[in-house]
Amino acid sequence: MSARAAGAEVGYAPLVAALAVLALAAAFASLMVGYARLDVPAALADAFAGRSTAAAVVLEQIRLPRAALGTMVGFSLGLAGAALQGLLRNPLADPGVIGVSGGAALGAVVVFYSGLAGAFALAMPLGGVAGAVLAALLLYALVGRGAGTMTLILAGVTVNSFAGALTALALNLSPNPYAAYEIMFWLMGSLADRSLPQLWLALPLTVAGWALLLASGPALDALTLGEDTATSLGFDLGRLRAQLVAGAALAVGAAVAVTGAIGFVGLVAPHLLRPLVGNRPGRLLLVSGLGGAIVLLAADVAVRLIPVHPELKLGVATALIGAPLLYGLIDRMRKEA
Amino acid sequence: MRGFPIAGEGRQKRARVPSPLAGQGAARVSGFLLAAFIVIASPAFAKPQRVVSLNLCADELALRLADAGVVKSVTWLSQDPRNANMAAQAAALPANDGHVEEALAYGPDLVLVGPFADPASIALLKQVGAPVVEVGAPQTLDGVRREIRALAATLGEPQRGEALIADMDARLAGVAVDPSRPRLKAVVLRPNGFTVGPGSLVDEILTRAGLDNLAARLDIAADEQVPLEVVALLGADLLILDRDEERAPSLADAILDHPAVAALARRMTVVSLPSRLWTCGGPEAAEAVERLAAAAAAARARQATQ
Repeated sequence: MSARAAGAEVGYAPLVAALAVLALAAAFASLMVGYARLDVPAALADAFAGRSTAAAVVLEQIRLPRAALGTMVGFSLGLAGAALQGLLRNPLADPGVIGVSGGAALGAVVVFYSGLAGAFALAMPLGGVAGAVLAALLLYALVGRGAGTMTLILAGVTVNSFAGALTALALNLSPNPYAAYEIMFWLMGSLADRSLPQLWLALPLTVAGWALLLASGPALDALTLGEDTATSLGFDLGRLRAQLVAGAALAVGAAVAVTGAIGFVGLVAPHLLRPLVGNRPGRLLLVSGLGGAIVLLAADVAVRLIPVHPELKLGVATALIGAPLLYGLIDRMRKEA
Repeated sequence: MRGFPIAGEGRQKRARVPSPLAGQGAARVSGFLLAAFIVIASPAFAKPQRVVSLNLCADELALRLADAGVVKSVTWLSQDPRNANMAAQAAALPANDGHVEEALAYGPDLVLVGPFADPASIALLKQVGAPVVEVGAPQTLDGVRREIRALAATLGEPQRGEALIADMDARLAGVAVDPSRPRLKAVVLRPNGFTVGPGSLVDEILTRAGLDNLAARLDIAADEQVPLEVVALLGADLLILDRDEERAPSLADAILDHPAVAALARRMTVVSLPSRLWTCGGPEAAEAVERLAAAAAAARARQATQ
């Protein structure tokens, strides 16, 4: 398919630059928007001068981790969505839809509520990664290569509901009387009152995941020509699969362990941006990551501006945009089939 | 859904309007109704001998007021010393999960429920003829006294009720607040980021301890979730946490360990009160007042040295 036919009029480098600027602007907006009137320049001055005024504490310990985590998690979900879609050659392969996020939430829940999280620092994000790997393997066993859309979606529904049920079970087993009420956070996700240490813990695993996913670009491009052609071009498909599953699990698992599962970001971002990169899955990766960051940061600004208390979960906002889009996508695929 | 109120899980609802009396010949005592202590089917005039409680707060009050051996079962929550004030006594009794059929197994002549009990459960209990009494969630110290008095009357132990009230009032009277000094500004942070506004028991407890509840200046209800950054910027002298060290982890409690709270601790005095002092409006309110007054004194001493 030629770039022109896909309506791509934008060059790759300018597109990446424009999206990066937009993502930075969204992160800045996230820093500025909040519930309390905060003099950001003054708080910034205090923070740099090392004065721990209340304003500086709010900026450093509450607003900054929120904006940074929004960027990180959005990038992870957008990138993982694009990569999984390239691997499964199916535009519906979003980490939320196919159950990878649900599995990650389960892993994080088991680690957190059992008290394992206190055992060593990385336990939480690693729990999320382990859950994501399990879900991905389970899914892959059902779907395999080149499975139809129907099988993919049904497998996703199965993995999702199973992981959700086990999450509810784990929460109910906790002796803490609040735990049972916390399933909304894990299934819908939120960035409210996250902290800087959580960002530092999740970041290394996430960046490792990004590296694995971004490095798969050329192989994903080759895969569009068919598996045999890709193999004949020298790409090891078994290795590619392992690399993508590991990368998605690292990026999504670490993210979900901090914010809970946030759906549809990995669906919306690649879908909107695919035409702009001439439908090349390799080029879609970085672009989708940036798009995911923008979508998530915008949703997070929106939930703070909408006067609803308590704050809406992020997954609610992303589903309001994402679910109709998924519906339209399925409808279009059905007509094309 | 378990019928226990962890105050702070939702906005405090006012006591429900009582459903029409069902039991034949049930005595309606108007004082009970005024006392936000709703008699749904009044027990017999004799002392109840087989009391089952399906609510943490009712558990504690019943254990304080009834003769030993009268209370046959309490909720599992009461047996955990991290939640409950009467855990030692409760641990000796069989626990229930707040279900109707568990209560009926004891052949009760009185079943105590909380203000958030499922109406279907109450209807079921009434249907099988078990007398049900709802123990309310008082929002003032006067309400606490009324609640104690009402349950003491129901249990046929009025003297014990008066003694409990006198003991609480004596402890409250022991906390002297110097009216000439400006009140320290305080704000409460509870699990899930809830704080307490005006018209709540905790607000009155703060006032009795000589503190000025800053959250009363926000436009909030008695018990409402407030973003952490709002709490941080209120400019309080004293940050009061509803926090237990040894409790199993939850996101609700994690907010109390947020690094922002630790950073603020360098600027203001942070005091933790265990959950058992917050959850129910019982005589333990006096202990909360005493502890907060002591924390206020410590905060003043710290301010004086700075």
